[in-house]
Amino acid sequence: MKQVVRVKINGSLYEEDVEPRILLSHFLRETIGLTGTHVGCVIGECGACTVILDGRLVKSCLLLAVQIDGKEILTVEGLAKNGTLHPIQEAFVKAYGIQCGYCTPGMVLATHYLLTKNPDPSEAEVRKGLAGNLCMCTGYMQIVEAVKTAAESLKNG
Amino acid sequence: MARAAKYVGHRTRSKEGPRHVSGQGNYTDDFILPGMLHAVIIRSPYAHARIKNVDPRAALETPGVIAVIIPEELKQKTKPFKPGRYAAGLRKPIPEYASAIDKVRYVGEPIGALAARDRGTAEDALELVSVDYEPLPPVTDTKDAVGPDSPLLFEDLGSNLAWKGSLTYGDIDGAFREADTVVRDKFKIHRYSSTPLETLACIASFDSASRKLTVWINAQVPEVIYDALRETLGLEDVRIIIPDIGGGFGQKIHLIRKYAVLTSLLALKTQRPVKWVEDRSEHMMAAGHSCAQEFDVEAAVKKDGTVLGLKFKEIDDVGGSVSTLTIHFTNKLNNLSNTYKVKNISLEGCSVVTNKCPVIPNRGIGKPAMCFIWERIMDRISRELELSPIEVRSINLIQPKEMPYTTPSGNIYDSGDYPSLLKRVIEKIGYDKLREEQRSEREKGRFLGIGVVIGVEPGGRNAARDMAIFPEMKESPGAGGVNGATIKIEKNGTLSLLLGSPNCGQSHETTTGQVAADILGIGPEHISVSTPFDSDLSPWGTAAANSGNNFHLYDIGAVHGAATKLKTKILTLAGHILQTDPAKLSIENATVQALGSPKKKITFAELGRVAYGNQSLMPEGFEAGLQATHYYTFPHAEPNMVPGQDRRIRAQFTFSAASHAAVVEVDPQTGKVEVLRYLIISDNGTIINPDVVNGQIYGSAAHGISVALGEGFVYNSEGQLLTVTLTDYGKSSTVETPKIEIEHRPSVSPFTTLGQKAAGEGAAIPSPAAIASAVEDALQPFGVEVRDLPLTPEAVWHLLQEAKRNDS
Repeated sequence: MKQVVRVKINGSLYEEDVEPRILLSHFLRETIGLTGTHVGCVIGECGACTVILDGRLVKSCLLLAVQIDGKEILTVEGLAKNGTLHPIQEAFVKAYGIQCGYCTPGMVLATHYLLTKNPDPSEAEVRKGLAGNLCMCTGYMQIVEAVKTAAESLKNG
Repeated sequence: MARAAKYVGHRTRSKEGPRHVSGQGNYTDDFILPGMLHAVIIRSPYAHARIKNVDPRAALETPGVIAVIIPEELKQKTKPFKPGRYAAGLRKPIPEYASAIDKVRYVGEPIGALAARDRGTAEDALELVSVDYEPLPPVTDTKDAVGPDSPLLFEDLGSNLAWKGSLTYGDIDGAFREADTVVRDKFKIHRYSSTPLETLACIASFDSASRKLTVWINAQVPEVIYDALRETLGLEDVRIIIPDIGGGFGQKIHLIRKYAVLTSLLALKTQRPVKWVEDRSEHMMAAGHSCAQEFDVEAAVKKDGTVLGLKFKEIDDVGGSVSTLTIHFTNKLNNLSNTYKVKNISLEGCSVVTNKCPVIPNRGIGKPAMCFIWERIMDRISRELELSPIEVRSINLIQPKEMPYTTPSGNIYDSGDYPSLLKRVIEKIGYDKLREEQRSEREKGRFLGIGVVIGVEPGGRNAARDMAIFPEMKESPGAGGVNGATIKIEKNGTLSLLLGSPNCGQSHETTTGQVAADILGIGPEHISVSTPFDSDLSPWGTAAANSGNNFHLYDIGAVHGAATKLKTKILTLAGHILQTDPAKLSIENATVQALGSPKKKITFAELGRVAYGNQSLMPEGFEAGLQATHYYTFPHAEPNMVPGQDRRIRAQFTFSAASHAAVVEVDPQTGKVEVLRYLIISDNGTIINPDVVNGQIYGSAAHGISVALGEGFVYNSEGQLLTVTLTDYGKSSTVETPKIEIEHRPSVSPFTTLGQKAAGEGAAIPSPAAIASAVEDALQPFGVEVRDLPLTPEAVWHLLQEAKRNDS
């Protein structure tokens, strides 16, 4: 039995019939068509599917789509404004905090959340803030650099 | 290049970055085709069992389930894979199909596939496929596997010892006769993987009218998929499209072909597009592991530490397939000499099949283990002869004046200054000061350790390598390598570049754009590099592989060649139109300019309009259009491209190198190892993009460190994999991964287009040895000896207990 879910995603309102067992990650990818939310494990270990739900950082594979009725979600597609990258996205590009790109949307959103809570994190705080997001390519060095650059740029922006 | 490079060697904006930070990367799972079905794989829950019957009827009665493939049908409709070079050495052909036919040999082995209208329905129906197994005793230990009473994985082989062979270079017996002492030890490398964040994925679509099969797949080597589909399905017309890949590291080279065949067979059967996406636990169980390797090592040594000879015996636990029987052994030829001028080396290998996941190529394949052998035995020599570990290494290093240096097995090291890499790492880490600190801290009960190692990173594959080990090979594997690139100016002036190989995150678009930009006088931001890889369009050869550190050699060579050809064409056309000698023209900002005549110029857009539409302005004999394709082969591939009687072979063609220093602290109460500093002094030849090269070094070092300190697959005695999640497997996060420092000391390669050498798997090669060395050094007061990885807290704690027992 499908259920109706009304949800605001990246500022737009959607009303969809969904099967109760559909995960939020798959709802975003397949029903809404926002494929920037990636899936790497489906058990909350890897962080590729990270999104922001009502201001909280969540792993969308650990929620069912029906749980987000009436809520608001920010995915990686919602960060850039009028074709201009968000300063966090820009910082990841500049610092080469990206290799295969699969972890990147989750990393960018985890950074967004971290810098909202703590605009001036130390390196240890950055590493702790991103500990829920695995990257198999970069060794994290340029990602940490990107977060520091983003923090600077948001402070000055 | 005539002028100083404006883009090569400099920081430049990433071409791939903007799409990835915006969630606009295109991965295989992102594609949806009309009418597409979703496949799941039927897998074995047993490590070893006979398949007595597979009954899919109940599954097929589920609404939404469209088709099931069971072993019987698979055997009827497909041919086995042709044994490739990975199976070289197999003494008797063992047919291997895309799924098990009569027997399963590892947990997770596919025995068929099912397609339904959606993934959920497919997964539900999977539970209804009834498989009748006759469980057999599992074989999980290489020693038991070769015992007289062991059950056999492949009855036709008559033994679980599937291959045995040896090679000797130089006078190994002479070396041991002349030695003052022989230093011996046993070492082990465990099973691990690179666990790419994106699991395997494939979409197959069959056009029955034209009998053309199109497959979207995140495969690293198009040739493997292309050949597999044509051979097993008997199709002529196969198109492979490779979009963005979410990490590869070798995991997406080999076993992925099974799933390409199964997905395609479902597409053929249902006449509908079919998508298959692996889940994480399937990936851990069945996508492939690196090989557990055991070594018995002996070094013939003079009193001053000079190594006269090295011999080792290797046992490879290759898992439940013969399709990758020898890859971890054959890859030892790539860095057999490491950085040392040892003249006499012999190696003996055997491959044992067990009821575990088959082994596959993984970041360096056997190379991290070869470096581990060398660097561990160097530490042993140092201890036995009471020489410093630095001194023992130094005295054996190949000297810069000997470059290009031919190793006993025939590799030709193109360039490198190993003594300076070692000297600089000591200096920069503050070795002497650290030794003092270590002494004083030990008195306070803190145990610091310093490990310094050195290693080479071979690059650019030579297809003929395995002929050195298997001279009896019936079919030539080819020699050297070929890959292409196409570059063109469109009629509106846009410059576009089409590469001959896929990439999985190494910024190929950015780097090739820089190379072409310098030659063609246009900013890299104006070069459109086309993705995805498409076998119908991309100019590809057998080196079109995101593997073997091929990119720097074959792809850069091809792009450089294509851009140089296009430049000649541009200048010829512009010279004719401007009535100027092409030698007196220069290109700047997409405009061809006559030297000394500011008004005589023509833009790429104007040239494009002529080349594609105005015959009257073309010089006589000019081929219309502004495009060039270049297929690159390495011009310095001789000598030793193909082995002769002496079995000498250039396994790879370029040799990057690096020294690594690790400083660790070990808590003897808990066994926990903390990496306090990790420094790499790296020689990657001419660096095209410093950020990209650094990223490759950081990433490969972090992987090697994680492998040394925690990552690994664990099986129980029943052959059940206990590490099916990333957490159980022990993957390091931001918190466990140490900061890594890099300093570059490039030695330009005299052989390659721009002097470039490889950077990709490099730092994953010496890093396990560096950590082992540092941990052993920290625990020296306890008499701990490290022979095995990973050094998890539990493993280190056990080492300490064992040392205490030995002491008392």
